[in-house]
Amino acid sequence: MESKFKEAVSGKSERCNDTDCEKVADLLNAVVDGEVTAEEQEFFNAHIEDCISCFESHDKQKLLKGLVSGHLKRIIVPESLALSIKAKIQETV
Amino acid sequence: MSKEEKDARFEAELLPVLDPLYNFAYRLTLDEDDANDLVQETYLKAYRFFDYFEQGTNAKAWLFRILKNSFINEFRKKSKQPAKVDYSEVEGYYNTDDVEGESGVATTSDMRTQSVQDLIGDEVAGALNALPVDFRTVIILCDLEGFTYEEMAKILDIPIGTVRSRLHRARNSLKEKLEKYAKSMGYNS
Ligand SMILES: [Zn+2]
Repeated sequence: MESKFKEAVSGKSERCNDTDCEKVADLLNAVVDGEVTAEEQEFFNAHIEDCISCFESHDKQKLLKGLVSGHLKRIIVPESLALSIKAKIQETV
Repeated sequence: MSKEEKDARFEAELLPVLDPLYNFAYRLTLDEDDANDLVQETYLKAYRFFDYFEQGTNAKAWLFRILKNSFINEFRKKSKQPAKVDYSEVEGYYNTDDVEGESGVATTSDMRTQSVQDLIGDEVAGALNALPVDFRTVIILCDLEGFTYEEMAKILDIPIGTVRSRLHRARNSLKEKLEKYAKSMGYNS
């Protein structure tokens, strides 16, 4: 797994130009958050098809988001909380 | 509207948000008692301003905004400093010899077991809790609660451009903190 990864990172495509890579890097968060326009998404998709380095960056950004959304434990709400909120509201005029 | 009607409407529209709201409060304060107080305060404020709440609009974003303001304006001052989670303690789990080298495949299959899933959750929580509260906030709102950038801008009273840049910096910080862990899982950078 590790060696495959290193190979992937070092293999920057010749068709890749740095200006486009910068644009893609700027779009990374918006892409994983679904906050890009259709044109931006299209440009992004086309670029990562050719550029392995940006492809990997995208993968890592998805992984990072997934670590929070998929692994962070939710805290159980104490049962008394809803009751005490209701009680306080009923007292309020 | 009678008080009974108002109370019923209030409970029906706003109490379903209790779970995410409490979780948000906990991630801000890092203390269950403080989270409890903050959530109660938020609901009492919401009740006082309930006439201004437009029925059918985004109740969750509205309550999150009230809670965030309470936290900044009053709570942050009076609450006890949250105990910092010692990140190095959690890191220790992944620095043991058996995660390294040849046993890489075994580690991957172990990942499917519940106890390791819990460790990942603890690791993420430790890294997140070590971030400044502004960074923690945008990550929670975006990744855990699924708010859009526009909703986040409203909750935080900042322009969307600031949401983007803050999220960018927050994720970079989180990435840095999780790097050791990521390396042990084979995601070398
Ligand atoms: Zn590229």
